Amino acid sequence: MGPGLTGYIVRRLLWAVPVLFVISVVVFSMMRLAPGDPVDAILGQRYTEEQAAVLKAKYGYDKPLPVQYVKYMANLAHGDLGVSTRHRDFTASDVIWPKLWVSTQLGAIALLIVFGLGIPVGVYAAMARGTFVDPLTISFWLAIEAVPVFVLTTIASWLFALKLGIVDLGYRGVWSPNMIVPILVMSLPGVAGVARFMRASVIGVLGDDYIRTARAKGLKERTVVITHITRNAMLPMITVIGLSLPGITAGSIFVETGFGIPGIARESLAAALAPDYDVVLALVLFGAALFVMANVAIDVMYGFIDPRVRVGAGRG
Amino acid sequence: MGLSTRAFELVPGVASDLLTAEQFGGEHLANAELGSPKRFRTMRELLRKKVAVLAMCYLAIFYFCGLAAPLIAPYGLNEQELTVEARRQPPSSEHIFGTDQLGRDLFTRVLYSARTTIIFTIIIFVTGGVFLGLGLGLLSGYKGGWIDTVIMRVGEVLSGMPTLLLMLAITASFRGRINTWSFWLEDHTFLGDDSRTLVKFGIIAIATVPFAWLGSTRIVRSQVLAIREQAYITAAESMGAGTPRILFRHVLPGVMPLFLVGLSSGMAGIAGAEVALSFLGLGIDEPAASFGSLIASVSGSRNLNDYPHMLIAGAGPVVLFLFSWNLLGDSLVDVFDRRQNTR
Repeated sequence: MGPGLTGYIVRRLLWAVPVLFVISVVVFSMMRLAPGDPVDAILGQRYTEEQAAVLKAKYGYDKPLPVQYVKYMANLAHGDLGVSTRHRDFTASDVIWPKLWVSTQLGAIALLIVFGLGIPVGVYAAMARGTFVDPLTISFWLAIEAVPVFVLTTIASWLFALKLGIVDLGYRGVWSPNMIVPILVMSLPGVAGVARFMRASVIGVLGDDYIRTARAKGLKERTVVITHITRNAMLPMITVIGLSLPGITAGSIFVETGFGIPGIARESLAAALAPDYDVVLALVLFGAALFVMANVAIDVMYGFIDPRVRVGAGRG
Repeated sequence: MGLSTRAFELVPGVASDLLTAEQFGGEHLANAELGSPKRFRTMRELLRKKVAVLAMCYLAIFYFCGLAAPLIAPYGLNEQELTVEARRQPPSSEHIFGTDQLGRDLFTRVLYSARTTIIFTIIIFVTGGVFLGLGLGLLSGYKGGWIDTVIMRVGEVLSGMPTLLLMLAITASFRGRINTWSFWLEDHTFLGDDSRTLVKFGIIAIATVPFAWLGSTRIVRSQVLAIREQAYITAAESMGAGTPRILFRHVLPGVMPLFLVGLSSGMAGIAGAEVALSFLGLGIDEPAASFGSLIASVSGSRNLNDYPHMLIAGAGPVVLFLFSWNLLGDSLVDVFDRRQNTR
């Protein structure tokens, strides 16, 4: 790692700070200025002015918004995400972290399936270009993508639980075989996007000189496809993989509500509806931070792989 | 998770990335020596065209049925028969899609749901697509400077936020005011009973629009940046044409094709957002009709086992609708690629 690359990484990280700052200010003001009131959420419909005043003073809602923001950020730096109004006596961190872990495990497995299936399907379709196999393969996955997740949930649980009787639908932990159905429902619709992207990328590579060279020197078609075509076509996939990484923590609202999985997406829905102000705020900020970090990571990875990127950035 | 629910979360950033990548791939098509026999190529093109034609046919039927719903519908929207025999009827000559759990004609519900989908997509098309997407894209591409910086930075901040969660938070926080707003509308306008549904449309539109313009804006901006350098723009400028004239007479025609291609690939996502919100009970709900609430009322594996016609009739039309838009967008990108290359 040369000095150029270190400087590049530092610059990218510094750039992420203002973006995160703006996001946090916008979301914070949105949550505080939104119609409704955390005091209503905690006390219910009937309360006296004194009770409200005590609560407002306790949580600092009576202070001006910038003061509240600074205090919130100071607490955040200590890992204090605020209090949950939906779950009495729980802090927002107590509510969020265990559920986030459940969703992240499921999301990671689903993501592996999405790319594990999508990349070969894309390469296959691209190599079959010019025949009817190509549009047929892509259309098949597009059709699955078009089925709403909540319809797929019903169909999959009917098929696997009622018809075939392989699993039942209760939640018994992330690693129980019951999770096969929700993981399938989460991952299958994503295959089309990856496959299409991979197909376009492969087709872009196909015409390059080194592919012709590889074929000309008599390499087996298998070797050409795997080590020459696929490897080079994977380069643009870094962005897609990187951008989808934050998504694995988000969980899927429809799958988690449909299969009763105690994950973060179900909590997000309940928190947004309640509304559970600090929990929603923490979730949005967490998601935004992950997204920004993923973007930085992608840029840095490109900097590693492709020297032209960091030279250009150094000049600019 | 982001990927699996792609059609149901608006992820315009990712969608536009995919689109540009496909064009990127397309640029190489012209010099790609694939050695595929000509007849396969024509066959493939034929198949592709057929797929596009089929998709367009279905979309035409869908739009016609939706817009003419009150004329076609054999029963009233909320006309019901609440006897045990009249509920959950399988398809028959009287009710071609059967009836739902409240003894209402499913075909009628589907027609009105299609109308809801159409109204919503048009609202977003006009506000998020044309007004914000095209307008801001033209502005930021042509003007450049700080305007460009502000627009693109706002877009960056918005695309960094968890879309679905924010949409939920926005709809949820506004829904508390539904009564206040719809009563006001009822009292002060001619809308009467429709005002409640109108307010709900407004709420989901407010929740969707902030995230619906990013993709189009990026596409339009990059097109404008390329067109701005053309000699005929310099010529028009030197002849003293004003900014609006240059934008609408000279830049816009060049931008339109790709803008429409981008929008058509995003259409399924926009329609899907309404269906998803309504499914969660946050969008258009009963007594008004929406595919989301319709599907919510017929889902569940027991339901599917005992009354399969209800899920097929309720979900089938909208799944085909989303699928058709995806296919159409896809073939449009393809056709556009080819045209770009032969030019």
